[in-house]
Amino acid sequence: MNHFGKTLTFMSLAVFLMLISAGGASGKILFNDTIDVGSGYQINNYFIEVADVIYSSEVATIYVYEGESKTPKYDKFLSVGDSFTFKVEGEDVKVNLVSVYSGLKGPAKLSITVTDSSFINTKTLGKVDGGHTNAVFPKTPVLDITKTVEPATMGVGDEVTIKVSVTNKGDGDAEKIIFSDPTPAKFVLQQTLIAPTGQTIITKGETRLVYVYTLKATEAGTFVLNPTTAIYSNNVGDELPQASSNSPTVVVEDSSRKANLDVTVSLDKYTVDRRGNLQGTIRMKNIGESSASGVKISLLVPAGLKYVDGDSSIEIISGVPTIYMESFGMQQEKEIAFRLKAVDEGTYTVSTQNYYSFNDGVNPNLQSASSTSMTNAIYVKEGKYDYLLEQPVYVYLVPLLLIGILAGWFFYKHRQYKF
Amino acid sequence: MLNILVIGNGQCGNRILDAINREAFGTKGRFAKYLSQQKYKSNVQTIAINTAVNDLKEMKFTKAKDRIHTPHLHGVGANRNVGKHVFEDNKTLIMKNIQDRGDFDVAFVITSASGGTGSSFTPLLIRELKEKCNYPIYALVVLPFREEGTLYLQNAAFCLKDLRESGADGIILADNQFLKQMGGNVESAYNGINDMIAKRLLFLMDALDSEMMMVTDLGDFKTVMSGGAGLATIGFYEAEAEMPIKSVIKNALSPEGMLFSTDAYQEASRSMIILKGDRKYMSIDEVSSEVEQLSSCVGQVFKGIIVRNDELPQALTVLTLESAVELENLYAIAVEAINYERQKKERVDSMKEVDRAFSQINGMDPSY
Repeated sequence: MNHFGKTLTFMSLAVFLMLISAGGASGKILFNDTIDVGSGYQINNYFIEVADVIYSSEVATIYVYEGESKTPKYDKFLSVGDSFTFKVEGEDVKVNLVSVYSGLKGPAKLSITVTDSSFINTKTLGKVDGGHTNAVFPKTPVLDITKTVEPATMGVGDEVTIKVSVTNKGDGDAEKIIFSDPTPAKFVLQQTLIAPTGQTIITKGETRLVYVYTLKATEAGTFVLNPTTAIYSNNVGDELPQASSNSPTVVVEDSSRKANLDVTVSLDKYTVDRRGNLQGTIRMKNIGESSASGVKISLLVPAGLKYVDGDSSIEIISGVPTIYMESFGMQQEKEIAFRLKAVDEGTYTVSTQNYYSFNDGVNPNLQSASSTSMTNAIYVKEGKYDYLLEQPVYVYLVPLLLIGILAGWFFYKHRQYKF
Repeated sequence: MLNILVIGNGQCGNRILDAINREAFGTKGRFAKYLSQQKYKSNVQTIAINTAVNDLKEMKFTKAKDRIHTPHLHGVGANRNVGKHVFEDNKTLIMKNIQDRGDFDVAFVITSASGGTGSSFTPLLIRELKEKCNYPIYALVVLPFREEGTLYLQNAAFCLKDLRESGADGIILADNQFLKQMGGNVESAYNGINDMIAKRLLFLMDALDSEMMMVTDLGDFKTVMSGGAGLATIGFYEAEAEMPIKSVIKNALSPEGMLFSTDAYQEASRSMIILKGDRKYMSIDEVSSEVEQLSSCVGQVFKGIIVRNDELPQALTVLTLESAVELENLYAIAVEAINYERQKKERVDSMKEVDRAFSQINGMDPSY
């Protein structure tokens, strides 16, 4: 039992020592190799350069440059076994001089560790021969895209010129730029004068016109154009955030010339006895700015009313009284009369369905339009002699029988005396 | 019930027959035939015969089946010779139509003596009927207006003669000339005459088949009609207000009540008096007095009385004539007419000499 307790105590101590030892390593080892004098190791925008090695003294001079600055940010004189730590993007980078070697380039063996390597750009990580001057540091190009429209206000069918220019306001070239500029809805691309092809590069400070094209407006309205976007990379291939242009607004005014058929349907009276007649009038006027063609007006008569007759321009098509005219000019007026008969008691309305086409001067094809018109409510009340129809059947049968017998008798007698 | 046949020949006969049928409805309205029944006491069959279809068509109260058309243009044009030929051509049709109606107790054939169809058909028809049937047949003959023309007068004279020889059991005369005293226009005069004749004939047929207070029947009528010269006429009077029966009888026997101008007391051979009306008018004394007065002149007078409640008195007299001055006058005029027509025909024949005069230049041309 005592033997087991001793073993457990020993193992716990070993684990504790291992943990302490691990904490002293300061995280992930990025590099553990030799670097010649005049060469170095790049971590993002920092460059750790072995400036000098004195083998006999087992010392080495280590410079740490930030970016392209020619003056080291850190200048460390380390003995073998010494180390120093500096911050890169908030993380601790520890440089430990492991050993030095004799020779012209008297390389020094460095161990470089970092507490967390997640911030490290692998494209700018690694040993660089030739020192700080040979290191490539990442740039940050910034593309400023401007989108303009000319004119901003136009009519349907008119053209608007879109220009997109881009300026690289960053500190490095923008590479592998891919622009995207979708054609907005309600517009038709007419002509493209300038457009980027494939991937392109815009150097630092450069301003370039990347798009010039014209669009034709097809519909009236106020349209906010989608921004032109660009995706691009910097000099080391880092993909930078997408750049977007402004969203200009285009106001398209309705400049088309439409036919506008004003159709009204009215009756001479709106209260009528059953079996009474109604005199109706359809009044048409083209109050639009274009002639109408293929005018078709269907008179919809409800079941409680019956179409009797009308002007010669009314034809019965599939049981529906219909007016058809090949054309109907601007400001033209026409009145068409018709007669209805009240069949059943009730409240009804008579309506028209109006269809026509016109050339709006904008679209190559004829435009179609439709509308409806409706009368006021028509009240069909009981007819003067309707009560006669409400009597029991025998009330009619008896007189009808008598009339029939009488008619038969008269016919028989007439035939008897007809020579 | 008696079976009586009434035949109307020619335009005049057709119209009188139609008037009889109309009167039989009891009302003169145009819808009478639709709304009422004919009130014949007897079984009366009527037949209209004509060569002119238009005359048949204008009949309104005679059934179509009772109209016989014997086609010949539109009549025979007052030519009795043509009429006789047409009758012979259609005799079978006419006789079949009559015989198909069965047997009769008595027949009356009504005709104008002056026209074409009636005056020519009637004697031949009666002759045929007498040969084939056993019932008595009486002709009711309408004499023309004297001024109607020579052809009509000539036709009337020969028609009456033919009727006498046809075997007719009696000829009842009605004279347009005498009846024109009624006045009025031509149409109303003709209609009035037709109505008068129709009314008398209906009264007679009614009386022959009615129950009577004092009876006269068909036998009596036959006896009356067999007397005299075979000629007869009918008198009638219908009171329009209350009046004694004596006056009614006197009016019926007066010339104004007769169809033919005659003096009943002087020219009649036998007589029948039929009275109708409410019982209160039928004073036996007055009736006997008038009958006695007539019988003292005529000899035999049959009398009958039909009682009809609430009816004003009416009287019908049938007189057979021994002589007829008016008929002699008619024949005197007719002879003149016949002579006139013959002379005219001779004049027309002489006109052929004119044709000979013209024939002298046949084949020649004028030279200028």
